[in-house]
Amino acid sequence: MFYSTRSKLIASFLGVSFLVGAVSLFVGGHLLYKAFISETTNRIRLELNTAREIYLNRIKGVEVALNTTTLGSGFRFALKNQDARELITRLTRLAQQAGLDFAGIVTREGTTLCRIGPHPVPTRKTQVSNPIAHLTLKERAPRSGTVVLSGEFLWAENPGLADRAMIRVLPTPRAAPIGEEEETSGMALAAAIPVFEGTKLLGVLYGGVLLNRDISIVDQVRDTVFQYEMYEGRNIGTATIFFKDLRISTNVLNPDGERAIGTRVSKEVSEHVLTAGEQWTGRAFVVNDWYITAYEPIEDIFGERVGMLYVGILEAQYADIRNKALSVFILLTIASIALAIMLGYFLGHKIMRPVHRLIEASNEVSHGNFSPQFGPVSKSEIGVLQKTFAEMLTSLQEHDKRIKAESEIKLVQSEKQASVGRLAAGVAHEINNPLTGILTFTHMLLKRKDISDDVRSDLRTVAQQTERVRKIVKSLLDFSRQTELNPKQIDINRVVSTAVLLMRNQALVKGVSLKFKPGEGIPLLTLDANQMQSVLLNLLLNALDATKRGDSINITTGMGIAGNEDRSMGVEIHVKDTGCGILPENLDKLFDPFFTTKEVGRGTGLGLAVSYGIVQRHGGTIRVQSEIGKGSTFIVWLPLEEHHGENAHTHR
Amino acid sequence: MGKMHILIVDDDQIVLDSCKRVFEAEGFEVYLVSDAIKALEVLEHTTFDLLLVDVKMPEYDGIDLMRMIKKKWPQLPIILMSGYPTHETMEAGAQNGAAQFIDKPFTPEELIKTVRMVMKHEK
Repeated sequence: MFYSTRSKLIASFLGVSFLVGAVSLFVGGHLLYKAFISETTNRIRLELNTAREIYLNRIKGVEVALNTTTLGSGFRFALKNQDARELITRLTRLAQQAGLDFAGIVTREGTTLCRIGPHPVPTRKTQVSNPIAHLTLKERAPRSGTVVLSGEFLWAENPGLADRAMIRVLPTPRAAPIGEEEETSGMALAAAIPVFEGTKLLGVLYGGVLLNRDISIVDQVRDTVFQYEMYEGRNIGTATIFFKDLRISTNVLNPDGERAIGTRVSKEVSEHVLTAGEQWTGRAFVVNDWYITAYEPIEDIFGERVGMLYVGILEAQYADIRNKALSVFILLTIASIALAIMLGYFLGHKIMRPVHRLIEASNEVSHGNFSPQFGPVSKSEIGVLQKTFAEMLTSLQEHDKRIKAESEIKLVQSEKQASVGRLAAGVAHEINNPLTGILTFTHMLLKRKDISDDVRSDLRTVAQQTERVRKIVKSLLDFSRQTELNPKQIDINRVVSTAVLLMRNQALVKGVSLKFKPGEGIPLLTLDANQMQSVLLNLLLNALDATKRGDSINITTGMGIAGNEDRSMGVEIHVKDTGCGILPENLDKLFDPFFTTKEVGRGTGLGLAVSYGIVQRHGGTIRVQSEIGKGSTFIVWLPLEEHHGENAHTHR
Repeated sequence: MGKMHILIVDDDQIVLDSCKRVFEAEGFEVYLVSDAIKALEVLEHTTFDLLLVDVKMPEYDGIDLMRMIKKKWPQLPIILMSGYPTHETMEAGAQNGAAQFIDKPFTPEELIKTVRMVMKHEK
């Protein structure tokens, strides 16, 4: 029973722990992660802006460098004279200073005058269409921006550029099906500045940076934005420039640790950004890992979406944080479960121990041990229970003691009765013969005339005392005599009334109030009325002896339960006086033959012993309750058994 | 009426002596025996007016003796003496024709009174 209470306690603690654990896991694992993601998504959006700025700045840088060059008078003079040699020298210097991959002059007519690189003066073979220069010629205004350059153009500018631009398309998970296997075109940041002499257009200076395999922009973005943040030896921040959906400039690494040039964007992103032209942020699979990413389309100088700019943060670190958080929460949950079990166990043990002890104690009580140990009294509510239990035990112990004492007295009493009876019979018989002699010869002596008065007086004393011995022996015989009962069905109230009537005058003379209150509904008893009468007379005489003027004796009758183990129903006669009471040490001697507290010669000490014998022969008991100075109550209990037996018989 | 002849049967000498002392003072003729057999022997050749018999005696007790006497001399009055009168002995005594009972101990007056009462009744 108490185990189940403990289990319940543990279970409820566990329930709380699980709940707390579950909430922690949900909050930690989900909400926190979500918060991370959304925080990171916001961050990555800002980073994309930065990346765009860097990208645009680079374009601006190219434009400014070219613009500055066109303003130089030496350059203008050389252009005016179409001095290719001089121009190439100057352009080479410019390219070196501004970090340009290609630069050249296009004439007003649209043909390339000269360029840096291995084909400075175009032949028919190297005379290719220049999209940005042509746009500038057409609009007669400076242009800068992203431009897609064909393989031929790049080869004409510099075969090295064409080589750099050529990218083998690699199969990439989650990407759209491969269209081409090689990309020969390149994407560049370029600018073209028209040079005027007055209103006369002298030509167009163009120049630019090939983005294919260029690392300066993406690494600048990474270093500016993420400031060398590392996670497990990897840069957490990545940036990529896409030509269409192809990575041409990136610091995303493939599993071999090389820049993942030639890999492609996932189909989902491609559809959003390239096809629909939207900015895209979120969790995305990049090359071979999950990143929190932001993409936006790159439009070329003609306003067409030709590529994408990307920044991304390795998700692994957040996933890791989440995993760490999760494991912390799981640990916490496990710890709290362990704590709950321990707490539940110990608390349960602590709470239930006194209860358990009480249960054990009750079991012991039910098996007859009335002084079981049940531990120290607790200060909690259980303490109240324990105190009540202790009180209950005390009264049980007292009751048990009383019952035991009573039954012991009874047992001793009946043994005493039997042995004293036998002894009395023998003694009485033997004494009576010598007593006959003493009485006879004393009386014969007293009849003589020739004795002095002194002798006569002494002889009278002998005669008197012998009479006294005779009386004692007679009582002893009365006591020991196993007189047959003469039982009749009789109303006990009538027997009591007769005895009270006989004693009324004596009580009146002594000034003691004697009252009888007959009980109602008492069935007839089968008993010897004469013997019962003598019992009652004896009890009343004793009561009168114990009382003085002004005291009272009250007799009541009623139904009562036997004080023995049978606890059978019977009739009780209470004789209660307000007299001197009986000393406790005398209580167990009360029914002994020859025990008396009355003055010598007044009591024989056999009255109660005889009464006890009579009541016992009727199957009843006499018990006494007494308190010194307050009085005594003698309770005669007589069984109904015989009566019941008859009834049971007739009913059958 | 001439001299009363009384036979007293008791196994205790002091009882015999006591009775003898009382009856002789009254002028009775007393014959003492200590058991039932002797009593029967005496009865064979002597006539008595009254028997005083103790109930409790070894071998044959007062009741046995009374039965035996009553068979032969049904008219002989017998007073039973007992130091331990019980309901059973009283009943047995009465059924077998005891004239009277007397409880031991008794005073001389009680004894004489009882004897005279029995004798009066017999007449």
